[in-house]
Amino acid sequence: MTKITQTRRGFLQTAAIAGAAGLTGTFPGISWSAEGDTLTVRFDREMESLDPGFYVGGHPPNDVNWCIMPALVHFGMVDGQASWVPSPYVESVEVVDSTHIDFTLKQGLMWSNGFGEVTAEDVAYSYDRMTESEWKGDYVAYERTEVKDKYSGTIILNQPFAPFMNLTLASGTGIILCKKATEEAGGKYTIEPPATCGPYVMEHKQAQYVRLRPNPDWTGPLPAFANIDCIFVTDSEAGALAFEAGELDCAKITSTSYARYLKETPPGAALTVAGALQYMWMGINIENPKLSDIRVRKAIQRAVDIDSIVQGAYSGTAEPSYGIICPGLVGKRDAAGYSYDPAEGKALMDEAGVSGLNLTLRTLNSPERLLAAQIIQVNLAQIGVTVEIIPLDSGPFWEMGQESKGDTYKDMELWIMRFGAGPDPYEATQWFIRDQVGVWNWERWSSDEFEELYKQGIGETDQAKRHEVYVRMQEIMEETGGYVWLTHEPEVFIHRDDIDAKFAPSGEMQMAYFAPK
Amino acid sequence: MSETHSDIPGPVPAETPVPERGYSMGREKLMLFLRNAMGVFGLILVLLFFASAIFAPLFATHDPLAMDIPARMSGPSADHWVGTDQLGRDTFSRVLYGGRVALKIAAIGVTVALTTGLILGMVAGFGPRWLDNLLLLVFDTIRSFPTVVLALAAVALLGPSLELVLTIVIVTTIPGYARLARTSTLALKNTEFILAERSLGASTARILFVHIMPNVIGPLLILAAMDVPVVVTIEAGLSFLGLGVQPPTASWGTILNEGYLIIRDTPWMVIAGGIPLVLTTLGFTFLGEALRDVFDPKLRRGR
Repeated sequence: MTKITQTRRGFLQTAAIAGAAGLTGTFPGISWSAEGDTLTVRFDREMESLDPGFYVGGHPPNDVNWCIMPALVHFGMVDGQASWVPSPYVESVEVVDSTHIDFTLKQGLMWSNGFGEVTAEDVAYSYDRMTESEWKGDYVAYERTEVKDKYSGTIILNQPFAPFMNLTLASGTGIILCKKATEEAGGKYTIEPPATCGPYVMEHKQAQYVRLRPNPDWTGPLPAFANIDCIFVTDSEAGALAFEAGELDCAKITSTSYARYLKETPPGAALTVAGALQYMWMGINIENPKLSDIRVRKAIQRAVDIDSIVQGAYSGTAEPSYGIICPGLVGKRDAAGYSYDPAEGKALMDEAGVSGLNLTLRTLNSPERLLAAQIIQVNLAQIGVTVEIIPLDSGPFWEMGQESKGDTYKDMELWIMRFGAGPDPYEATQWFIRDQVGVWNWERWSSDEFEELYKQGIGETDQAKRHEVYVRMQEIMEETGGYVWLTHEPEVFIHRDDIDAKFAPSGEMQMAYFAPK
Repeated sequence: MSETHSDIPGPVPAETPVPERGYSMGREKLMLFLRNAMGVFGLILVLLFFASAIFAPLFATHDPLAMDIPARMSGPSADHWVGTDQLGRDTFSRVLYGGRVALKIAAIGVTVALTTGLILGMVAGFGPRWLDNLLLLVFDTIRSFPTVVLALAAVALLGPSLELVLTIVIVTTIPGYARLARTSTLALKNTEFILAERSLGASTARILFVHIMPNVIGPLLILAAMDVPVVVTIEAGLSFLGLGVQPPTASWGTILNEGYLIIRDTPWMVIAGGIPLVLTTLGFTFLGEALRDVFDPKLRRGR
């Protein structure tokens, strides 16, 4: 068994080294090895959108985009740690100073459907467009892109923004679109990119597969696997079985499977933890009349037994969470401001004069979350709260708190939520600012101090001060009574041990970099 | 009605039984049933099913909702006879309580569907032609809809619940009973005793419920016995898919689903959730077939 683990702290250290390497231009480029056979992987859900401005959840949209769309930088491994590296689409990427990044694209990279070459104009258009997208938070420090000539330009930031290379450009939000094709398509698209440029072309059959086939117009380095078949297997246990049966070469697995494979890994298989950049919490709608008394919310915080959830729902493979900043990142808290104490919770309920409270708990209909929900249900019964669990499919689940998608947000009481984070604490905080109330801030609170600290965190370069800023921001969130921190769940993949599998720290497969050992 | 109808042959009316003959017929049928080993076996299984569900609180060794996380996913032991689930809940107790869900769905579902189907079928068979056609259209429309697809659509709109499962079971099984009741009613419609009743001025309701129903209900009851396992498996299937009863309520379907997820760690949940489903299906099927053989000799196959 091979077990490769990336820690976030190590990742950040390497990111800094790679950043310096980029400055001096000494960083080794990445090239894909010779043409090989077919790679078959599991996708755990259908994609709502491949548009870098409007996708939901990194896996699987980013997995696909990194195979069919250009980007200036990709995630790579240096000395066993992940960091941004120049992509096969560029001659060079150089961080000139804290607010300027120069880039030069390779010549002769052709967009599909006859849209001509990939140009610096496309880069400028793509990044400008992101400032108006749902992922505009990643582009908070982005000012503009100055086009020098057809292939080169300079990205200009409005203030120093440490995570720009790793968080903004190397993640799924750094994808470059074809300006002409996108404008012709109306400026936005869902799962059919109007023009692509990469080593693969995509063939997609709804809820069945994404097939990546060699792009005959591709002039860059060839990936090791000529064909990639991405099969939608939503049931994670079925995914694990398919892997063991030899039908899949790589599959994302659940905590239960991970715990089992840790005890006994199938022959010829390897496990890779692609990161624990996930934060899961139970949200509480502070505007709901049943939950408007903060003593009730604080009672709920004290009644949930996180250790039971970690053991019962995640087989001990997840870490308990104390906030939204993930392990290994600046601003990670060591403890929450409350602890499991049902007696204190009951006292708070009595003090609030609330009894016989019935609440709904909405959750994605997945095994782990249903188990977690059932533990919470039993926990809250101890303080006299009767919980009705409402399992939802991903469509209605991801829309329920959004004001633009209907009135469900008014009825929401409790829900289990998990976000994936980028490799910088800033990324997680952006979803909870005032502008996000009714968008992704479903707990529906806002705070002037939080807004101030949010701005301060972006520009702060002193790591110790930055740590304090993000710790305080999480304290503010917790004090609203809108959050019960649950877990940081690892993203684990099982794959053939004769394949050198590459993953982004945020838990996506970099399939174009997969290669036989 | 004219006298010419008296020439039309029809089944012997059932409402003129001779008491002694009925007694001896009943006894004869009971003996016939008791000689059918499979039927008796089925009856025992059915009684077991009812008893385990009704007296679940007496037989259960643990509270079916009580968690014991350190003892999660354990195998059979003196304390947990068929092991525990992922949250350390006692599987044996949960299976017993799951039987209550199955019984509730089966009893309420089949009773309501049978009653409604019987009434609608008799109305269709006895009523005017246009009503018959209209009802037939409705029955066939419902029958043409795959149950699971209907359930998926309904759950997407209304959210999963036991009541919804019950409604789906009732709606999808009504046409079967109604069709059967209609056919039998049509056959009886122009028989002499019905025509006689009519000529005596009996109301439609009286004719339907006093004279037609006793002749129609026998085959329907046999069909109902055969339908119970179908209804139980519909509930288990929907709960398996997460569309039926909601946690933490135990149902054989949810136990199977949770067991399937950890089948590689412990097979006991799947075994414990699957066996009662198999036994219930066998029990009601054997019982239904035996009843059919006894009460409806015409339908006997290969005898």
